[in-house]
Amino acid sequence: MKTKLFYLWALITLGLLVFAVYQAAYVAPMEATMFDAQRIFYYHVPAAATAFSLFIVNCIASIIYLAKRSQWSDALAVTGAEVGVVFCLVVLITGPIWARYAWGTFWVWDARLTTTLLLWLLYVSYLILRRSSDAGSASVLAASLAIFASLDIPIVYMSNRWFRTNHPQPVIFNDALDPRMKIVLMWCVFAFMALGILIAWFRYDLERLAQRINAIHVQRAARGGSAMILLPAVALFQLTGHWPPIRYFHAGAIAAWLIYIVYVFILVGKLTKLRKEAAELGI
Amino acid sequence: MSLSITKLTAVNVGKDMSLEWRSRDVLNSMLFFALLVVVIFSWAFDPTAEQSRRMVGGLAWVAFLFSTVMALNQSWARELRNGVLDAYRVSPAPSEALFLGKCLGNFILVLLLECVMAVLFVVFYNLRSVGPLWQLVIVFLLGTWALVVNGTFFAAMSIRTRNRELMLPLLLLPISIPAVAAMVLATTNVLTGESSSLLQIKFLAVYCVVFTTACFLLFDTVLNAE
Repeated sequence: MKTKLFYLWALITLGLLVFAVYQAAYVAPMEATMFDAQRIFYYHVPAAATAFSLFIVNCIASIIYLAKRSQWSDALAVTGAEVGVVFCLVVLITGPIWARYAWGTFWVWDARLTTTLLLWLLYVSYLILRRSSDAGSASVLAASLAIFASLDIPIVYMSNRWFRTNHPQPVIFNDALDPRMKIVLMWCVFAFMALGILIAWFRYDLERLAQRINAIHVQRAARGGSAMILLPAVALFQLTGHWPPIRYFHAGAIAAWLIYIVYVFILVGKLTKLRKEAAELGI
Repeated sequence: MSLSITKLTAVNVGKDMSLEWRSRDVLNSMLFFALLVVVIFSWAFDPTAEQSRRMVGGLAWVAFLFSTVMALNQSWARELRNGVLDAYRVSPAPSEALFLGKCLGNFILVLLLECVMAVLFVVFYNLRSVGPLWQLVIVFLLGTWALVVNGTFFAAMSIRTRNRELMLPLLLLPISIPAVAAMVLATTNVLTGESSSLLQIKFLAVYCVVFTTACFLLFDTVLNAE
């Protein structure tokens, strides 16, 4: 089911990732106030960009599905939502670790954070809906929900901007960012986007296979589970307030990689199961 | 034979209302549930009059939200039991009329609930509004519509799933969060009289328009999802 193109893409992604992660950890200049903890930025922002792109893919694919009822668009919609949820989870885990050092608190209810959390919740509810509907109606119901979700996001963002006072200014996309940091950030965005495409590609093929052997009811991955595993680790920060900033960076990086790797393992597990089933059916 | 949408909607609302009037299942359980919420919160926090003015906005809407979820689940479950949805699917009547009828029926029920609860809140929490009361009326009308229109839609969606009643809050709550935030803030603003709630009212109006449109456009798809 996988072509040479897929492996070529995997190779490019690997190269990009190694380069970008190295750049993020050693080459990017030290930030003046947050020191090494700021390097979480290079995991956090690319994951966010990838997650948002995947949710947009989900929205477009859902509209196409409602209009055309084609199987591939449904597979693309699941892929967008599920892989998007995983990347969004990385954003939501690395964010608080960074915030703990930078702002002294894990969570602030500002527009950006609240919107991201709600985005995650919406797409988790999307995945739950898919899981608990019957095979026939799941795709249509989910596509309708996807449209509601994409309508809700701008509204949530605006409501937070209007109703909540004293939210910190977005620190990321202003001119104050060191140009050297910007370059590293760009590399990281490229690399993690490539990773996102790679995983999504894999997930999409999986869904197509699942559709083909009519085994749509597959185990959905990485909902709150991986977050729960990481929660005790987060609690460590509360006990000792004076960890060096590099620790925060390491914690963020480990959390991000753990989520990506766990998700890929879950997908591979799913694939082996489906392959076995496909072989039995002689596909 | 052709019936206009208005007429069909009126028939639907009339049917729901007379069913509800005979059994009073939904209204009674909703009222009792909301009453329990009020009593439990009052016990848990034991607020003074000044504190309760700040709390009641959130409290009231939480009580209404949960009782609305209760009512909404019932409203479609009844139709499913009696095979009304299948009948509706094969009939030439536009599904929008069914949806609008359900929305209006639920809207009336929840408004009734709110009228009764408002009195209870005043009594239990020793409330007295400092800001303009007419704004509160608008907030309640818009807020209730926002909850009911999305709720009716997602209730129709969730009865198509395997875990029916459990599904509705999971779908409805994330979508409703911005509206609930606006309702709570507007109510608190009116009660404390500290700032104007016009911005929230405008926001609620936009929210209602956007989601009412979306519900109407997609209801047919959800009703016929196979």
